[in-house]
Amino acid sequence: MIAVPREEYREALDELRADVESMANDVLAQLLRALDALESDDREAARAVIEGDDAINRQYLDLEGDCVELIALQQPVASDLRFVAASFKILTDLERIGDLATNLARYALAGSSAVVSDVRLGEIGETASGQLRAAVDAYVDADSEACRAIADRDDALDAACQNASDAVVRELIASDSDRWEIERLLDDVSRLLLTVRDLERVGDHAVNIAARTLYMEEGDPELIY
Amino acid sequence: MSQTDTAESTANRTDGQGVSTTAGETVEETRSEWTNYDSDGETKVAVEDLDVHYGDDHALKGVSMDIPEESVTALIGPSGCGKSTYLRCLNRMNDRIRAASVDGTVELDGEDVYQDGVDLVELRKRVGMVFQSPNPFPKSIRENVSYGPRKHGDIETGLLARLTGRAEPEREARLVERSLERAALWDEVSDRLDDNALGLSGGQQQRLCIARCLAVDPEVILMDEPASALDPIATAKIEDLIEDLARDYTVVVVTHSMQQAARVSDQTAVFLTGGELVEYDDTEKIFENPESQRVEDYVSGKFG
Repeated sequence: MIAVPREEYREALDELRADVESMANDVLAQLLRALDALESDDREAARAVIEGDDAINRQYLDLEGDCVELIALQQPVASDLRFVAASFKILTDLERIGDLATNLARYALAGSSAVVSDVRLGEIGETASGQLRAAVDAYVDADSEACRAIADRDDALDAACQNASDAVVRELIASDSDRWEIERLLDDVSRLLLTVRDLERVGDHAVNIAARTLYMEEGDPELIY
Repeated sequence: MSQTDTAESTANRTDGQGVSTTAGETVEETRSEWTNYDSDGETKVAVEDLDVHYGDDHALKGVSMDIPEESVTALIGPSGCGKSTYLRCLNRMNDRIRAASVDGTVELDGEDVYQDGVDLVELRKRVGMVFQSPNPFPKSIRENVSYGPRKHGDIETGLLARLTGRAEPEREARLVERSLERAALWDEVSDRLDDNALGLSGGQQQRLCIARCLAVDPEVILMDEPASALDPIATAKIEDLIEDLARDYTVVVVTHSMQQAARVSDQTAVFLTGGELVEYDDTEKIFENPESQRVEDYVSGKFG
């Protein structure tokens, strides 16, 4: 049997793929825990998410270093280069999603999110985390079709977020509470708006991951940016 | 240029149709698909259906590949893939090999270089060559540079010319300075032009050979692994020079260093074993997203 040339290099590429997947799973776990904390006012879960962000950041820096090392020492080209370039950018998306999960955990600690009955945060969170799960799977499986489906589904998430924000504002305007009560409500309401915005951003990063995976697979340079 | 002073009287070209490849139709199909490269520049050298045999060995199979002017074209591929053979067809260096037979057309500015009556000395003046190992003459730096123009009769410096008052020392000096300047060597040797060229470092010798090539005012410069015998600093200087030369000349470089091809060239042609041109495209495309799986495997070091 003929030995595969550059065995160490090939192993390093495989390892990078596995490590990015592992970080993605950790980030997804952070996001789900933060959503859970929001839903059930679980302060302990929220604190665990905030504490867990350090580990995500360390993974991010380590793996970014691995990408730079691969480029410096192995000079990947063609599909290998696209894989390393896409992974390098995807790591940033994952790290940002980690930050957004931390934001959500902080909102959970700050107070209840169940202030506007029309806003179904649970559903929005489920859609956003589903998009991230799908994007990570598409990256690991190098699945172009799945990437396109993720991009298509983002419009629905955006619309759901917009509807939620509108509902919050409508509720505030329609509120017959007195002035003092409205001021008290403002904190809760603006926190809710930020929560919706951050979930929408999770979806945007999932689309970025899908686009970078598509670049990795098909080589359209527009998609890496 | 040592190669220009030996004009072969006969070319070993055969005039029949190219021998069909044993690889069959599928190779033919992909070949046209991935090698039909159309650069933005004007075509300087047009090669059509080039077949080369060394005796029974089919070294180059039906290669069609146009080289745009004032740019750097890199030829890469494993040993024995035919890239140097292709390079040597462009100024008919293969004529020197008795067993070599060439079919197809090679046009320089639209003129077939293999047609009868082509002056090989003139051709190699227009299409100069730089080799893997620096090969300066065991003469002074000055004489190395002015050797070509003197041979071609462009300047007169000999004893007879001096005796008859036809010597042109100032013209020679200008030519030597200009050529060495253009080859980025002038600053290092201007105070020792009469020293023996063999006393220069390897990198300097290679730049001297490039200056020697430039002195006869070529249009195309062929380089066969010009930096493979040099250290990284000398290599970097040659690479800078190649990029600079492409502003005025058409440069074609054979290299085994894929990173070098990626660094210096505008377009890259990938030849694979069997004398086949597999893919020819913008260098970015070849190294970022090649069409052919075999090219992908070769440039990523998966075989070859």
